[in-house]
Amino acid sequence: MAEQTLAPGASVEESQPAAVVEVKLTRRSRIEKWAFLIPALLFQLSWGWYPLIVAFLLSMTDARPRGPISWTGFQSYTRVWADPLVGSAFRVTLIYAALSIVLTFLIPIIVAILLMEMKPRVMRWMMVLWFLPLSGVASTIMWRYVYNTDFGFFQWIAMDVLGLPRQGFLTSADQVLFWLIFPGILMFGPGLIYMAGLQSIPQSYYEAAEIEGAGLWRKIWTISLPRLRPIIVMMLTFAIIGSLQVFDWPKLMTEGGPGGASRTVVMYMFDLLNSLRYSDATALAIFLFILIMAITITYRILFKEDPDA
Amino acid sequence: MSLFPKVGRNQPGLRVTWTLVVAVLCFGIFLHLIPFYFMIVTSLKSAPEIMRIPPTLIPENPTFAAWQLVFQVSVGSTILRQPLSQYFLNSCLMAFGTLALSLPITSFAAYANSKLQRGRGARWTFLFFIGTLMVPAAVTLIPTFLLTRNFPFPVPTVPNIPGTEIEFPVIRTWNTAWAVIIPGVFSAFNFLLFKGFFDTIPNSIIQAARVDGGSEFNIFRRIVLPMSIPVFAVAAYLQFSGVWDSFMWPLLVIQDSARSPMSVAIYNLINVFMSSGTMRPQASLATNEQIRQLQEAGLSWNGLVVLGILQTIPIFIMFIVSRNYLLKGVKIRGLK
Repeated sequence: MAEQTLAPGASVEESQPAAVVEVKLTRRSRIEKWAFLIPALLFQLSWGWYPLIVAFLLSMTDARPRGPISWTGFQSYTRVWADPLVGSAFRVTLIYAALSIVLTFLIPIIVAILLMEMKPRVMRWMMVLWFLPLSGVASTIMWRYVYNTDFGFFQWIAMDVLGLPRQGFLTSADQVLFWLIFPGILMFGPGLIYMAGLQSIPQSYYEAAEIEGAGLWRKIWTISLPRLRPIIVMMLTFAIIGSLQVFDWPKLMTEGGPGGASRTVVMYMFDLLNSLRYSDATALAIFLFILIMAITITYRILFKEDPDA
Repeated sequence: MSLFPKVGRNQPGLRVTWTLVVAVLCFGIFLHLIPFYFMIVTSLKSAPEIMRIPPTLIPENPTFAAWQLVFQVSVGSTILRQPLSQYFLNSCLMAFGTLALSLPITSFAAYANSKLQRGRGARWTFLFFIGTLMVPAAVTLIPTFLLTRNFPFPVPTVPNIPGTEIEFPVIRTWNTAWAVIIPGVFSAFNFLLFKGFFDTIPNSIIQAARVDGGSEFNIFRRIVLPMSIPVFAVAAYLQFSGVWDSFMWPLLVIQDSARSPMSVAIYNLINVFMSSGTMRPQASLATNEQIRQLQEAGLSWNGLVVLGILQTIPIFIMFIVSRNYLLKGVKIRGLK
């Protein structure tokens, strides 16, 4: 652990006073400050916020690839609202998001806590092996092979080892969502951000707890987890946003099948986009945006208080 | 190194727990290495062996046939419209182009926000920069797509400047590598990463340099940058692998096959093979003469796996380069 804490400023985090001495910048420094900020401000404005404004405007038009565009008000919203496939896409997305957060969110936190117990040398090696990257294309190829219903590895386990009847895996409407999430459970690993967060917890906290006679679980429960809390809250926010707009993985694995049982909202949005219904697709995305905002805000209110504050 | 007590580790209870922890970690790593083993082994198998049940763990007659076949396809054939090296260069252009613009611009902004701005201004700038993290990419997808055609007009026809017959000047990035690079230049997550890191650099160091009369840019270059190599390594690695592996966005904005990245080419190739029934040679529906020949020559999942390995290698190299910095570079402490 000692060598990690040598990283610049790591030990200062704790000792830095809350009230920083007020620094008066010179005129030249102020100009430089804006020179630093302006490129990023411009890019964030034009490719970050501007498309969002355009999205709201676009959803109220009848935008097409060619020809003039006119305002249609909320027509595309009502059209999307009335579409029965939209309802089923939202149902699939919500089940997928709930399943994936319940089944996979806690694992990286726990593994990170355990991994930080290893000796620095061992931990470095374990980290390298654990974070070895595999491209998305490659892992799609592998999992499609594993899930293949005729000669895949899982079918072999199910039929020859466990003696079960022939399984459908990704071709079964009841199971497809679980099997899409399953790789995330099987390939469990530590979260890098949690490891970094754990590293910044001062050793003295654990030493004090030890003198007081605290056991393993008590240390995790009263020191590690509370100190990680801001990071956990942030990561859970990202996990909610990410899992509600899942697209690539089911698209590559199942194309939304069987019979739409794994067609998520964003996948349906792509279907609309492919049939050139730009405004309907954007309206659907805005419905998803509203849902995500509602869930995130509710949850941020629930978890507002901060142990560090 | 903190949950287990420093003394008295030999108590039977603790030893059992410790063994369990180590076992769980080793098991996780073992599971994680399976895909890599699987990919390499499968690429060395012959087509009939791949279809066998139960699967063989070690190839019976290791052969490089699949590698040779993929090499043939990728040098010149009508299945892949361009040689694979062309796609590879396109991918490199996109990934390194994004990094070259994104890392300086994002890190400058994060530095200014962390060390040069104060109070309310800093707070609002921060929110302006990271606010888009809360917006699902799906919402801005179509507008961004339209904007790549005629920036800043999200419409197919550019209006004329009022009172004249001249069109407004527009920036057209559609169907070029810029369409992939430009929207990725400012990365809100990398901003968060940089800001978290710069926040941990003591102000006194920068203040001392200022007293010595350095310009802000020189302070950044000579003092902050050398301290911040870990965070640059992490940000570069994350962004590189993101751009390298992205395929939906390039598929959408790049029509010309000569400009497509490798991920798109491989995705298309996989689709061609999947739909041609390669995976079950006896039931092959291949209408394309070339694909049929390849199948007879023994191309199957083994060939696809070779493509997967080729796609992984650059990300792998970036990982090896940045591996020692991973833990030191991340200092995010939550969104406050």
